[in-house]
Amino acid sequence: MSKTLMRFTGVGGQGVLLAGEIFAAAKIKTGGHGLKTATYTSQVRGGPTVVDIQLDDEEIYYPYANDGEIGFMLSVAQKSYILFKDGVQPGGTIVVDPNLVHPTDEDRKTWKIYEIPIITIAKEEVGNVITQSVVALAIANTMMNAIDKNTLIDTMLSKVPAKVHEVNKKAYELGEKYAKEAMSK
Amino acid sequence: MATREVISTGNELAAMAAVDAGCMFFGGYPLTPSSEVMHVISDLLPKKGGVAIQMEDEIAGICAVIGAAMVGQRALTATSGPGMSLKAEQLGLAQMTEVPLVCVNVMRGGPSTGLPTRVSQGDILQAKNPSHGDYKSITLCAGSLAECYTEVVRAFNLADRFMQPVIVLLDETIGHMHGKADIPTAEDVEAGIVPRKRFDGPAEEYFPYGVGHDEPAVLNPMYEGYRYHFTGLHHDKNGYPTEEIETCRKLIQRLEDKVALHEDEVESYEEFMMDDAEVMIIAYGSVSLAAKESIRHLRKEGIKAGLFRPITIWPSPAVKIKEHTDKIEKVLVVELNIGQYHSEIQRAAARLDIDGLFKVNGRPISPHEIVSKVKEL
Repeated sequence: MSKTLMRFTGVGGQGVLLAGEIFAAAKIKTGGHGLKTATYTSQVRGGPTVVDIQLDDEEIYYPYANDGEIGFMLSVAQKSYILFKDGVQPGGTIVVDPNLVHPTDEDRKTWKIYEIPIITIAKEEVGNVITQSVVALAIANTMMNAIDKNTLIDTMLSKVPAKVHEVNKKAYELGEKYAKEAMSK
Repeated sequence: MATREVISTGNELAAMAAVDAGCMFFGGYPLTPSSEVMHVISDLLPKKGGVAIQMEDEIAGICAVIGAAMVGQRALTATSGPGMSLKAEQLGLAQMTEVPLVCVNVMRGGPSTGLPTRVSQGDILQAKNPSHGDYKSITLCAGSLAECYTEVVRAFNLADRFMQPVIVLLDETIGHMHGKADIPTAEDVEAGIVPRKRFDGPAEEYFPYGVGHDEPAVLNPMYEGYRYHFTGLHHDKNGYPTEEIETCRKLIQRLEDKVALHEDEVESYEEFMMDDAEVMIIAYGSVSLAAKESIRHLRKEGIKAGLFRPITIWPSPAVKIKEHTDKIEKVLVVELNIGQYHSEIQRAAARLDIDGLFKVNGRPISPHEIVSKVKEL
């Protein structure tokens, strides 16, 4: 795939920004182009946050994902989900944390919606809630097949302190496992 | 010139550029969406023996920068619109006393506190005349991640060449976007530094403001044995206040002419697919990215559109603009304000039929909106 548009949404303070930076950096490492833009509100914590990720083999000019062209969205907050879901193209993939986001029946007809308890996985199975962005990263990459897995993991590890390398690797593997399970259902 | 590839944000690149360009002092106050400039330079400067200070407010930030520049250092402050309003008086002082400094403004929605986290280009006219009085502003505007670096470097060299503040405009989009930039190596930037002039003769023959009609002041660093006076009042060749009629007139005319008669040294613009263009889009800053994307779409549909992008916003590349607008009938100015540069384009083109696409709700202008507007022309 030459062009991938992804959108991560949540609320300020959840750390969704980092996943976008990792994706962009990994794509650039492979010789392509990657851009991350974030939009947030003046509420430091709790305001709706959206991160757009564009990965392309060609040079990217406009840094935001055009509404209606987004192939994948991941959301961990209801209010952000409602605000930003319409940017996803019909038939596109949306991953939500079912404890926090509740899509309507109409939504389920419009998009392929997968429910994965991202926050619970990070908190209870990985053991560190901060790793949710890496769980999300793994889910997005597994579903979109955007970047070579090892390149993405290496890039991710280069952006986190050495003492948390193992826990983040675990977060990635768990995210990948849950994504594969969700897709096979 | 050798380049290096970095993955970064516009704000980080602006801070890196300052350090590579020999800036040794930062004074400022963190203000969204410019704060990362301060965060990054606070980390970088001490490692090079420089100093970064978070002052008690925006005004104190630029005052400290003026002080650092008076003792000969390259110095930077960074802020956003509300901070520019606060710094206005000191920007005027630096224009009048001819103290070189660089001020990065990462634009957000205004007026007043406006939309702190949202993109805007509402400070274009403010950059032309931040304070009262006559002088010729030099304002550069970055239109890519790489230019967040290269334009800050250029700003430092221009500040020392013309002995005045140079404003570099970023906007929230370009300041925060994260991606790849090919920028010059630090060694090349260092090799390209042109330090400000200094006087090396006997102290009694030194007249810092006693220069030619189109030349900037020659300000030796303070505390090096050359005594002179700094004042915002009209002043004579020694810097002492005066109301002598000809001296006052010559001073203000010189502030104008030192830039106006050397605009070729300041002018910078990009022409994107302009060779055969039948529609001319004029945009700057992050909006030019949407414009380039829109041109890709328009060309696929057989509409020959091109982009003219001023990089030096003030003084505007008026002669070059007129060259194009004399030949091209359909001209569209796209900007995130209600037509601040549009009026300058009308002036440069000497045409009142220049179209505009404006947005002031804190959201970016999308390529699709530009495509639709061009089709309506």
